[in-house]
Amino acid sequence: MTALISFFVYLALVFVLAGIANHAGKNKSFLNEYFLGSRNIGVWAFALTYAATAASGGSFMGFPSLIYTHGWSLAWWICGYMVVPLVALGLLAKRINQVSRIAGAITIPELLRRRFESNAVGNLATVMVVFFMFFFLMAQFKAGAQIMATLLEGVPVYQSAAFGLEALVEGIPWIGEAEGDYLLCLIVFAVSVIVYTTYGGFRAVVWTDVMQGLVMAVGVVIMLVLALTQVGGLGNATKQLSEMTPPEFMEVEVTRGSENTLVEKQLPRGTWLESGGGDIIRLKSATTIQSGADKSESVEAIRLTTPFEIEKVKEQGSVLEGYRYNVVGEVETYAYGAGKRGVYTSTPGPSRDSPSGFITVLIAFSFFAFWNFSGAGQPSYMVRQMAFKDTLTLRRSMVMVAFYFALIYFPLVIIFTCARVLLPGMEIYPDRVMPEMASILTINAGMPWLAGLLVAAPFAAVMSSVDSFLLLVSSGVVRDIYQESINPNANEKQIKRLTYGVTMVVGMLGVLAVMHPPQFLQHLIVFASAGLGACFLMPMIFALYWKKATAGGIVSGMLAGGLTVLALYLAGYMQTGKFGEYLLLGLHPFIWAVVVSTILICLISIKGTPPAERVQRRYFGGEQR
Amino acid sequence: MSDDLQTGDLGVSFRQSRKELYFMVASWVVFAGWTISYVGLKGGIKEGEALQLVWGMPEWVVFGILIPWIFGLGLTVWFALRFMKDTDLDPAAYDGSNGEEGK
Repeated sequence: MTALISFFVYLALVFVLAGIANHAGKNKSFLNEYFLGSRNIGVWAFALTYAATAASGGSFMGFPSLIYTHGWSLAWWICGYMVVPLVALGLLAKRINQVSRIAGAITIPELLRRRFESNAVGNLATVMVVFFMFFFLMAQFKAGAQIMATLLEGVPVYQSAAFGLEALVEGIPWIGEAEGDYLLCLIVFAVSVIVYTTYGGFRAVVWTDVMQGLVMAVGVVIMLVLALTQVGGLGNATKQLSEMTPPEFMEVEVTRGSENTLVEKQLPRGTWLESGGGDIIRLKSATTIQSGADKSESVEAIRLTTPFEIEKVKEQGSVLEGYRYNVVGEVETYAYGAGKRGVYTSTPGPSRDSPSGFITVLIAFSFFAFWNFSGAGQPSYMVRQMAFKDTLTLRRSMVMVAFYFALIYFPLVIIFTCARVLLPGMEIYPDRVMPEMASILTINAGMPWLAGLLVAAPFAAVMSSVDSFLLLVSSGVVRDIYQESINPNANEKQIKRLTYGVTMVVGMLGVLAVMHPPQFLQHLIVFASAGLGACFLMPMIFALYWKKATAGGIVSGMLAGGLTVLALYLAGYMQTGKFGEYLLLGLHPFIWAVVVSTILICLISIKGTPPAERVQRRYFGGEQR
Repeated sequence: MSDDLQTGDLGVSFRQSRKELYFMVASWVVFAGWTISYVGLKGGIKEGEALQLVWGMPEWVVFGILIPWIFGLGLTVWFALRFMKDTDLDPAAYDGSNGEEGK
């Protein structure tokens, strides 16, 4: 309960900041203020809004689940962040700010439209932003709802409300199929973010990002200290990891022991059970043994394979007494790493699906490129780069962001390798490892109130991303579609109303879409990042650095980039039947998309008519070479 | 701190930005080369060999990731505070350019 109070204090602060931001934006040009904070963002605000937007639900929910599942190999997967501040900000920031000011643009599609004097470029950019950004929103909404669900678990009022909501929506197509607790948290989370984003606009988003960025950093530092203390030091944790072997997956029927067979027995998700031979399993979903029956329906479970982990779970008294299980059908083992000690402390890391392991050299290369260049190509970051007030702000912010990322990402790898030691069997719901870890660390430390702050860290990460994405999508619709193509003479009052309305509608559509999200958050986030990076990275680089680039070249590059990512994800789905990418020649779709996009932009621009001398001089000055 | 580049000439400013872009891409190549090749060679399981720990981490993490990360941090600080130059971003500073702010 104390955790809940500290968490709600944090939420209240977010709303206060949004209110102040709304007040500060009064008497300024609405659109320029609402979508770009009047281009007057200083060092702390720029650095932290950039970093907080980058550190999304993926960083605090999806990434920890991958570290837990694949061990130290995730350090290799994420290490591209060592130069992200240098590359992602150095690549575009100064020029994008300069060109957007010359063009008078306040959105990315608008910048491209004006730079190339082409509606086709602007409209296509808007469609691509809205399409891919929607997948981001879905992932973030799911993450936000899951964090709230973990925090509220066991609170009686919440359980009654969830139960009531489930009964209320029963029978409604699509919505009625969602679980009550998840649905309730999703609605509460979404309404909170939509309200403060709609009310405060870009300035509110930036200010709340600053606070959220600080909360994340403090949360990570506290978790790091608690985790290292509780595992007995990093060396001890790594040694234990080196002895671990991956779990096995199976279907089981739970059977009664000596208990009365007339009584119905409910077994929640996460229940530990022991076989006659001493093995233990953990249920992946809830099941029931009906009264009069002696066994349950078959249910998915994982079986631990590391002896000291099995002993630890037994010693903790977590195994349910009086019940046993029978394995039904085949036992599935990891495609790479089954029974192999050392897989969690080496590369390529264990993998359930891939016989070559989690991360090969080519995938490591792909992600080193992906984090840097796809990061640079995200419209949500580009918009921030249009908003800093001068280059001194940019330079100082690069330094701050570099320290911030080092403080967040590497410690996260350490914290969640420790989680493997402290929380066995989390493979049943890996996306919840972060809030579970926050909860267990603070309970073990005798400070349960601190869980509120620690859980606020990923929650802040999710919020700071959702608000940015909401604003980006609504700016695309209002500025780039309505004002540009439908009603260029709209007055400020009309624009204001439409902006508020669109922000709310986009948010609600996101909520509807995420009633049944895919299991791994990170897959969705990587897909959306790859799609946006593929669409915008090379077109933006050429728009800013090559005066001979043409509208035709940019349209082709944008389309080719987006379609390449879509095609390779579709191929991945057809190959495995799951949402995921197809690694053509071992490389991530983003790499192929960048290559195809670059070739097309160059070829079509060279063959086309160069932009007018007037346009070239306007954006590139008297450049001779 | 870097020298100021507020010349009011958009061409000069553009060429400086392009120079910074080349430096940044070259840096990325060096760091990618270091981490990918080192961890690719040293990160795998070595049958029959005990796990080598440095500061509580596998050795390949320290030399292939942590140390380059620290160098990357240093390079970013130097790039931002020494190599990168200030530019006047106000379109009114350039001949023939006038922004249409907030229209």
